[in-house]
Amino acid sequence: MTIPALLALALATATIGTLGGFGGAVLLVPTLVLLGVDPVLAAPLGLISVAAGSLSAAPKQLASGLVHHRLGITLELTATSAAVIAAWVSGAVSGTALQGVLAATAFVAGLAGFLRPASGYGPVAALAGEPSAEWPGSLDGAIATAEGVVPYRARNMGTGLVVMTFAGVVTGLSGVGAGFIKTPTMRELMYIPLKVAAATSTFSVAITSSTALLVFALQGRIDPLESSAVALGGLIGGVLGSAVQDALPPVILRRFLSVMLIVIATVLVVQL
Amino acid sequence: MSEFAPPLGSSEPDPEVNRHPLIGRQRYLVSFLQFGAVLAFVLAIGGVLLPAPANEIASYAMVTTLIAVPIIRVLWLFLRWVRRGDRLFAMVAAGLLTVIVIGALAAII
Repeated sequence: MTIPALLALALATATIGTLGGFGGAVLLVPTLVLLGVDPVLAAPLGLISVAAGSLSAAPKQLASGLVHHRLGITLELTATSAAVIAAWVSGAVSGTALQGVLAATAFVAGLAGFLRPASGYGPVAALAGEPSAEWPGSLDGAIATAEGVVPYRARNMGTGLVVMTFAGVVTGLSGVGAGFIKTPTMRELMYIPLKVAAATSTFSVAITSSTALLVFALQGRIDPLESSAVALGGLIGGVLGSAVQDALPPVILRRFLSVMLIVIATVLVVQL
Repeated sequence: MSEFAPPLGSSEPDPEVNRHPLIGRQRYLVSFLQFGAVLAFVLAIGGVLLPAPANEIASYAMVTTLIAVPIIRVLWLFLRWVRRGDRLFAMVAAGLLTVIVIGALAAII
């Protein structure tokens, strides 16, 4: 694939992926494979897209106080370990097997888009005036909403760590960020408010992807020029997607992206 | 009267004095992340537009930036938690950094 075509594809997938709240890689990697790129070569490009997208979103999310670093780093212990092992062995896995993993990943991501938001906690009057923040020495925190300041606590850590291990395997093998696994897990299973879950997931995905990228780079599996095209498309697409996100109905966008991912998964399975 | 209240006779409160202590506490890390994002963007443009071999150098530098920034962020958090006596999470961050180093060493070997 030529550099301008790759840049255009990365830009389009990052814009659409950001609009739907999934990130660009979950669309980019399956599309590259559909266009004939070997899954073994598509995975590092997906990770470049993930790393670029999460880096462009990081300053704003950190400044808003929505990132729970302690929770993200705790969950990353298992996710990053799994991603390192998966990235390490992915070079030895057949392209067909990786395509199967990718199809399953796209299908699960598509289904995740149809999940309902969990019912949240209520505001606490005693915390009025407090900003959104994590609380030192714990997995607790508070988020400032229009209704008031809402405290929260991470629950079901054991199950959460198991799911994050699976998310790490998906990232290391297929090159997608697995935010579509991490955010719903934190939201539905660990009772973390949606905005905190999304921001913490972006932080967490950045660590997993950079570590897996490090393994790929040391294995000599990164094409520098293609990486620049994907990163540029990912950075611009992430900013474009964020800019127009508020002007479009998020539920419809998310459902549209979900349907698109399920179609891509089906085509990938048919091609096997 | 609170020691943080505005002085008598002042027409409006000093925004710096009345700021909540949690707001802006990670401004250096925010600035670092902004710098990393801009650097990655500039290097990616160089990787696409510059002639060889400068484009390859810019591309490798861009990939290095994407890898290094999140790892430096974890290191920064580790040092911050050590300094503040948050031992449990400092140990978790140290464990994560160890996993990253072992992963890199395993890839080299």
